[in-house]
Formats: sequence, C-alpha cells, structure tokens
Amino acid sequence: MALLMKHVPIVKKHTARFNRHQSDRFKCVDPSWRKPKGIDNRVRRRFKGQAAMPKIGYGSNKKTRHLMPSGHKAFLVKNTRDVDLLLMHNRTFAAEIASAVSARKRVEIIAKAKALGVKVTNSKAKVKTES
Amino acid sequence: MASNISYDLIWEITRQNSSYLVKRKQAGGVQFSRDPLNLTNKHSKKYEGYANDKAIGILPGENGGVTLLTKKTGSANKPSSALHTTKFGSNKSSRKTYRSIVSSTAKKGYRPDLRAEAVSRASAIRKSQKPVKQDKPAKLRGAKARKANEQ
Repeated sequence: MALLMKHVPIVKKHTARFNRHQSDRFKCVDPSWRKPKGIDNRVRRRFKGQAAMPKIGYGSNKKTRHLMPSGHKAFLVKNTRDVDLLLMHNRTFAAEIASAVSARKRVEIIAKAKALGVKVTNSKAKVKTES
Repeated sequence: MASNISYDLIWEITRQNSSYLVKRKQAGGVQFSRDPLNLTNKHSKKYEGYANDKAIGILPGENGGVTLLTKKTGSANKPSSALHTTKFGSNKSSRKTYRSIVSSTAKKGYRPDLRAEAVSRASAIRKSQKPVKQDKPAKLRGAKARKANEQ
C-alpha cells in the first residue's frame, strides 16, 4: 500500500447531532433540525444552557474535509477501469467498491487495486475466504 | 478534433460533460478523466490531452514496460494518425525509461510543464507491474487463537 499523504490532524468540532428544539418533549416533534423562528424563543436567542444551533463555524478544516479517519478520501469504483483512475492518487484516495458489485468482480477489483497500491475500504465485504 | 476549432472552446464545451469524465459526489464532487493522454487522470485543462495541441500519455505496455503517446501537432483533422507511439520494454531499466521519456518530450520543448507528471506516471506504472506481494496471514486472537493452539 502506498504511503499516505501527510495531513493536519482531523478535528471534528461537534460530533453530536443537532436536534430540533423541544423534540425531546413531544413525540410529534421530529428531531431533524429546524431553526427556531419564534420571537421569544430562547434557543434562537442563544440563552445560557440552551441547545447549540448549527452554524458555519462548526465546519471542518478545508484540508481535512471529506477525509476518512484513515486520512484517505473515498472514491466509489464499479469496475477495474475505475481503479485505474486512482493510479496517480493512491496516496490521497481510497477505492470503495459499490454495493451492487458481485463477489466475482470484487475479486478482480481488489487484485487490481493491490497491484496499483490503492487501498480498498471495503475489501472484506462479500468476498469469502477459506477459514 | 478539427484544427479550426480552438482548444479553449473544446475545453469549455467538454468541461461539464464528456465520455472521459468521471464524476463522483464523494470527496466534494471529485472529477477524474479516462483520457489516455492525461497523465494524472485529473479533469483539468492542463492535463486533458484532447483539450491541448500537444499532450503526453503514458500507458502500461502489453508485456510489461510502458508506452509513450504524444500528439502530433497539425494533424488534428486526422485522428487515426495523430498519435505518435514509442514503446519502452520491461527489460529497459526504469531510470533509462524516464530519461528517454523526458529527452523525447520535455527537453525538446514539448510540454515541459508535464515533465514531473510524466516521470511519476511511468514510475507508478512500472511499480504496478511488479509481482504482487502476498498478504501476511492474519494473526488470530481470542477463541480462534486458543483453538488453533490446541490442534
């Protein structure tokens, strides 16, 4: 496997989900985020002790955006020709085999990726090995 | 491509969609290219072979080694004879291959901006042609390891 490109540490500023205000109180209020709009709303007015609202400041560093914990970016491949595209990018990109690809073709893709030094994120999926 | 069309126009037409272009929604909408005359497989004006008058392509050869493709200038209206092919066999040492690639292109003033990319692609192809190392057998842990020890 090719040596990974060095990168600054990945920092996730807010890993918890942002839940909609009062979704914990009423089951009819779905937790998917809606910005509170009411004139007296304490979450909107950012009172002490209230839930945090999503904002652009929580975004990831541009240099580590889209990186997996391994430090690679994922690239969906459906056949060996797609793996060939990553020949010059095996230090930044990892191949991810699409879910609909059969076990027989997965073997071919994984062999190709190994020759090119490309990491495959889901190389164990569907492919049975003798044990 | 017809020679009476500017390459800038060709690029503007094909930059959103073309048969070479591979788009993915992952990694912030990454775009790669399948163009054989593209050294880095990046979809960009600089690297796309069809969008430039002169372009270099390096492909794996049939029996190992690499094949160097260059575009002949002025034969844009004769696509079948527009490519110049040079083969470097697998017996030729890698360094000599890089040297002849560079001396036949960049040193002659033929796309000197692609010198490093050409060498690194040739190197990557040579590396991929080496026999693949077998994975080490995974070390067993826990119950499986105990079971293997008993036998």
